[in-house]
Amino acid sequence: MLQALVGSATRWLSDLQRSWHRSRQSTQPSTSTLSAPINYGPLERVLLTDGVGRTLFEEFASHRSEARGDEETGWVLLGLREGREAVVLATLPAGAMRDASVAHVRFNSNAQAVASRIVRQTDRRLITLGVVHTHPGSLRHPSDGDLRGDGQWVANLRGKEGIFGIGTADGPEIAGDLFAYQPRPHVQCMSGLRFSWYSLREGERAYRPLPVELTIGPDLARSLHDFWATLEFHAERIDRLYRQQSGMRFQVMSDKWGPGLLLTLPLAERGDAVQVLIRPKEVRYYLLRGGDLLEVQHHDDCVDRGVYLLLAELAARA
Amino acid sequence: MDFRPLNDTERRQLINALRGNAESDRAILMDRRDTSFLGTTEEVTDEEVISAIKSVPCHY
Repeated sequence: MLQALVGSATRWLSDLQRSWHRSRQSTQPSTSTLSAPINYGPLERVLLTDGVGRTLFEEFASHRSEARGDEETGWVLLGLREGREAVVLATLPAGAMRDASVAHVRFNSNAQAVASRIVRQTDRRLITLGVVHTHPGSLRHPSDGDLRGDGQWVANLRGKEGIFGIGTADGPEIAGDLFAYQPRPHVQCMSGLRFSWYSLREGERAYRPLPVELTIGPDLARSLHDFWATLEFHAERIDRLYRQQSGMRFQVMSDKWGPGLLLTLPLAERGDAVQVLIRPKEVRYYLLRGGDLLEVQHHDDCVDRGVYLLLAELAARA
Repeated sequence: MDFRPLNDTERRQLINALRGNAESDRAILMDRRDTSFLGTTEEVTDEEVISAIKSVPCHY
């Protein structure tokens, strides 16, 4: 395999290397902050970043125009939990491999788990806050079935409380509406779509309407959404690799060849690494050694197996 | 070499930090100048986040 290592980096590889070096500076974990333990009280409001708000309205509208548009869909919400409020900073879609119908949705959690690892590279304080799901009809409130499941699930969350959004397509159509508005503190409407927000604490017998407000900020997972189908396809193997290889890092890329995910696995020598570039149509392997970037002529779409075969080849040559 | 005893608050914080490190892999921060205990962080483990994601129930 290594006989076929290409020693001369092409312009494309140089671009990739420069991109990688740029990203190393930007993907360092944020500085940890000292803190006293947070005393979690009942949530009084949820803050959505404008990025998260856009994602929900845009992807709900997009979902309704697709072939499976009459099914339920949804997103897991990641963000920061404070004592009495939460800030939603990332959305993880249900995925194309979700199990769904007009009456239910079960998310593909494999891709969401990997996405959470990627997103949390930027801030290790991010936690799971709750779930948004849609109803094809006009039920603007979580159902009794939701209550049974969520009532147990919230025990897994900080403060034993979750945030739940319900998307419906029964908002009033206002000709030319250019921005969202809130007919009630816990409701957002735009272009005929409506999101109604609730909270549920462990032991409570009903959801509470939760006032929602907007602040400026990103959807930290949005760059992954264009890549989501590919992420779902590789998720289990990527996650296994991440758990087995200490120090593995992710970088989301987008260039003229489309979106991609770059995995970097450090080797024993400082600065050396194996890199795997995952794109919708291919998986490529690279070796970063002594400051040179080498492309490996090694074709294996199973990411973990490909990495271990490459490592075995390197070990045999050491 | 100074052997100053910890006061009650410092002792409680250190014990909580050690417990968080042992049970949840939370980082313990150290002053780089004198290696004294600085506190803990708000970091949350991947396991906590992913456990919640994997256990999201079916919604109706």
